[in-house]
Amino acid sequence: LKIIFSICLVLLCLAGSLLISAVKDDGYGPFKPTPLPFSIPQGFPKPTSDIFAKNKRTEEGFQLGKKLFYDGRLSKDGEISCATCHQPFASFVTYDHDLSHGVNNSFSTRNAPALVNLAWMPALHWDGGINHIEVQPLSPITAHNEMGEKIDSVLAKLRKDTTYKRMFKAAFGDPAINSQRMLKAIAQFTGSLVSANSKYDRVKRGQATFTAYEERGYLTFKDKCASCHTEPLFTDNSFRNNGLALNRFHDIGRQQITQLRSDSLKFKVPTLRNVQVTFPYMHDGHIFSLHKVLDHYMNNIITSQPTLDPLLKNRIALTLREKNELVYFLYTLTDSSFLKDPRYAPGMFTPTDRVRKTHVEPEERHEGM
Amino acid sequence: MLFNTVAHKFNQGSIPKKGCNFFRGSFFVTFLEKQKSKIKVLPIFLSFQLLLATSIAQNIKSGALEIHFIHTANGKEISLRDSTYTNPFGETYTVSKLRFYIGQLSVPGSGYKFGEDDYYLVNAANEMPIEISLKPGSYNGLQFLLGVDSLHNCSGAQTGALDPMNDMFWTWNSGYVIYKLEGSSPASTADLNHIEHHVGGYKGENNVATPIKLTTTQPFRILENKTTVIVIENNLDHYWKGQNDIKISDGALIMTPGPLSKKIAANFSNLFTIKSISLNP
Repeated sequence: LKIIFSICLVLLCLAGSLLISAVKDDGYGPFKPTPLPFSIPQGFPKPTSDIFAKNKRTEEGFQLGKKLFYDGRLSKDGEISCATCHQPFASFVTYDHDLSHGVNNSFSTRNAPALVNLAWMPALHWDGGINHIEVQPLSPITAHNEMGEKIDSVLAKLRKDTTYKRMFKAAFGDPAINSQRMLKAIAQFTGSLVSANSKYDRVKRGQATFTAYEERGYLTFKDKCASCHTEPLFTDNSFRNNGLALNRFHDIGRQQITQLRSDSLKFKVPTLRNVQVTFPYMHDGHIFSLHKVLDHYMNNIITSQPTLDPLLKNRIALTLREKNELVYFLYTLTDSSFLKDPRYAPGMFTPTDRVRKTHVEPEERHEGM
Repeated sequence: MLFNTVAHKFNQGSIPKKGCNFFRGSFFVTFLEKQKSKIKVLPIFLSFQLLLATSIAQNIKSGALEIHFIHTANGKEISLRDSTYTNPFGETYTVSKLRFYIGQLSVPGSGYKFGEDDYYLVNAANEMPIEISLKPGSYNGLQFLLGVDSLHNCSGAQTGALDPMNDMFWTWNSGYVIYKLEGSSPASTADLNHIEHHVGGYKGENNVATPIKLTTTQPFRILENKTTVIVIENNLDHYWKGQNDIKISDGALIMTPGPLSKKIAANFSNLFTIKSISLNP
């Protein structure tokens, strides 16, 4: 009797397990995410906080984030995606635009910043208002003059799309779509945008040499610019008033976040990586060339502003020759392999196994260099 | 919009419960396959588990505590949008939205404590009691944090009660609104006489999350298999007047962390009282 009983029990268990696996099979295949470890480029510091610590980078999460990044459905009218204002060929700024365009022919009040090496940025936006890469997209998605949409409407649109269901399942283990998963996936993509293969980087690695102009420009840079645009990220991530006039939007910058008068007119020091293609410059994009930017630092800083950065109180003295050499040096920060990287470019979704073969071989990885 | 009105304890969706994982994952199936050859071991293993499970279940004897929040002004329960109240400065106002976060709930002496990821969004538009199970005994109060601790303000995308869809997250200046009061008042100088008080802030001296400690005059009892109901009153009369005077005419729009949020938050410690305790039959 004991034997019969135990056989019955075993059969019951087996039937149960079959039932479980039947329930488990939701038509999207098993959950086997491919880890995509994040490596730090040679010469880069350790990031101050590990943005992938609780959001492990996987091929599936990255691909989902990329699809979301290029998807206009994140906006009210279906036209504006993250990439509308963050274009890959322009180091993820809006190429040749002072202000970004939003829904209903609206304009934002600031110049879209480059999405480069965000894993090393403790705060995002010109005023540092965003404290974590994952929550950043909430701002442009919901702003009336950017994407003008509600998060629950975005999720409703995504839930109607079987491709998204499949991709959320592949990235997170089940097809449920919620704001946290969407934001984590986007962060996997944007946090992966590492630019560390410019001529400057190759020179640092001993794989290239500066021309005489570039070399002298580099010396001037180290002498007169590097205290704020610190190597190798070319920003110290601080907030400073660089002596621009209060603009027509009455944008007081950092003060809006901290409510401190001492932060009036302070904006984040932007990275200079790929600065050749990120024009126009400054928080409102009102300066269209690097030469004009240097003119500002040489001649146009408003020195009467109480919160002006002390380093700029005497402006910056540059000879015409130094100015030209400086621009030549800044051009060495252009990372064409980053600007043309197919992993970051828009395109139809490629099944992950093919992506793995074509894009994430270690020798092809940026970060591995 | 459903999410805006739900005041409920959510599970943190991204963290699957361990036991759940074991059952649904492939481990169990693989285990069965591996054990096919030693099939006689299995029933013993399973019955042992069954025994273990029943013995654990038998050991858990508990009662329930239901925590209700009521929102009052001028001694009356607040009715959203359609009733007018007067603050201690003679300014009349209506209330359209009233929401706040509760975390770190504990009942001293019971060993009960919220998990560190557990938050409730209390919402006057849709009251849902907080239900917890406690070991039977006699207790004399409860504690909670009004607000969201700093870690959950700066650790990226959250879910459940802290989902940014609940409209309690500043998208342009990351961080949670911990107490939201909206309505209108003739004393308001803002557009359409609106009142929009979004109180929050987590950094350094701007941190407004406030520990609340409520004690009862007499101990209340938790009985096995019975539900004790505790009603906590959120009295807006104390919102306007406490350590600081909050006049609508002085500032009807408060939407940032900093001095104005702090000024209101200084009144939070006297906002709540235990209104009643009863035993559900």
